[in-house]
Amino acid sequence: MPPAPKVLVNEVSVTFESHRRSVLALDRISLQAQAGEFLCVVGPSGSGKSTLLRVLAGLLRQSAGEVRIEADHPGSPLTAMVFQEHALLPWRTVRDNVTFGLENRGVGRAEREARAREMLAMVGLARFAGHYPHQLSGGMKQRVGIARALANDPEVLLMDEPLAALDAQTRTIMQEELLRIWAALGKTVVYVTHSLEEALLLGDRIVLLSARPGRVSRIYPVDLGRPRGLEVRASPAYGALLETIWARLREEVVRAMAEDRGPDPDRASA
Amino acid sequence: MRRFGRWLAEHSIAVGSPLVLLGAREWASATGLLREAFFPRPSTIAVHLRQLGADGTLWGHLGATLVRIGWAFALAAVLGVGIGLAMGLWRGLREGLDPVFAVIYPIPSILFLPLVGFLVPPGEIAVVVTTAVTSFFLIAFTTTHGVRQIDRLVVEAATHYGARGWRLFTAVLLPGSLPSIFTGLRLGLGFALIVVVAVEIVSTSRGLGALLWLSWQILKVEDMYATFFVIALVGAVLYYGLAALQARLLPWVQDVADR
Repeated sequence: MPPAPKVLVNEVSVTFESHRRSVLALDRISLQAQAGEFLCVVGPSGSGKSTLLRVLAGLLRQSAGEVRIEADHPGSPLTAMVFQEHALLPWRTVRDNVTFGLENRGVGRAEREARAREMLAMVGLARFAGHYPHQLSGGMKQRVGIARALANDPEVLLMDEPLAALDAQTRTIMQEELLRIWAALGKTVVYVTHSLEEALLLGDRIVLLSARPGRVSRIYPVDLGRPRGLEVRASPAYGALLETIWARLREEVVRAMAEDRGPDPDRASA
Repeated sequence: MRRFGRWLAEHSIAVGSPLVLLGAREWASATGLLREAFFPRPSTIAVHLRQLGADGTLWGHLGATLVRIGWAFALAAVLGVGIGLAMGLWRGLREGLDPVFAVIYPIPSILFLPLVGFLVPPGEIAVVVTTAVTSFFLIAFTTTHGVRQIDRLVVEAATHYGARGWRLFTAVLLPGSLPSIFTGLRLGLGFALIVVVAVEIVSTSRGLGALLWLSWQILKVEDMYATFFVIALVGAVLYYGLAALQARLLPWVQDVADR
């Protein structure tokens, strides 16, 4: 019998209700992630990537379907999320931001501090433990966000376009950092991004979502070997895969743009 | 001393502008451009101020005013922050109280004096309560706003990391509103001074307002200006004192040094 998947998403739909109309954001999404897998979710804007992540994080309840996360370490939270806009608490130092989740779960001070030291060293911010978020650059803030998530030792790490707000150079460096950290910790990761290149560099598999409503369009295995570094971008296999997925993603993006431009019966009548 | 020198160099305009104005006033009165009977020279006023201090008159009045401000500010701060937080957290309360506050808030505070006199014993308590009214509204407004403007994503992240209920309040909602609360406290303290002086003019024989008015009525113009100066000084000390306290207590507010 094969091992149960770490993350199981089965026929999950999300409908947003506002006055007089309801919008279907996710339409019967089904996917799985194995333990230790780096799963990337890619799709045009409005495909519900973030919505899916929020459902996994427990921040949003699905309207239908089932989400199951296999818990292997009792006492650990199921998920920890790295937010797109870092979402650090401005009034807490870097150290206290990292220990926030542990504090809420009643972990003792000594253990919290040790854990913060370890995680900040891992993301290269050991010297900034006493700084406040506003004293850090965008890339450093996002490192704190990653350290905060990892400090909770979650079953699954969720990342919502964590590098989207960074400049190109910082993003490239952070991608390599992420690969290093992931290799060191062996976490299961569900990673949302709009960048196909990023997904190809990081992911074991890529889930392509369709334009609104979000459906699983296709799932691509990324057979580019591990450990992977930026040099993978020069390989023919990378180029071929990029082209294949992009052809499909392009259709979805064009469709999404057409829908945004198209006649909206609600707007026309208003 | 070196540090003071550097501070002086950095703030030369802020320190220099009052000095230039004082010099201009001195010159205008000395040359007769302004009539000395109504606009005595700053140097003459300084002499009278020293006299008021030496014979103890000033300290009694200053003390009375400070005690009133202290009580009024404490009352306004406790009620304003408390009710402001509640209004920020509960929509129903906010929607219920907002129109009431909107109607009462613009009424000149001094008009509450007779009204307050019906509700509490006239005298010191009525003075303190009247002084607190406008400050209370200011503090309640800014506190409500403080809760409302907290980044929703930060709250969501904090919830995701397990902060709920009371913990969410103390670790996220309260610290998140503190910069606004402090702004309200600074405004409120300033208004407490403005109102207490006005109340003292109309209803008491002690306090800086009373001293100022008495000096005017018996045409001790120099004493009037001296009192004027002390009131202004008290206002500045309170304002900058609270700003310094905020910089100390909220080191994470990035622009506090510039304010």
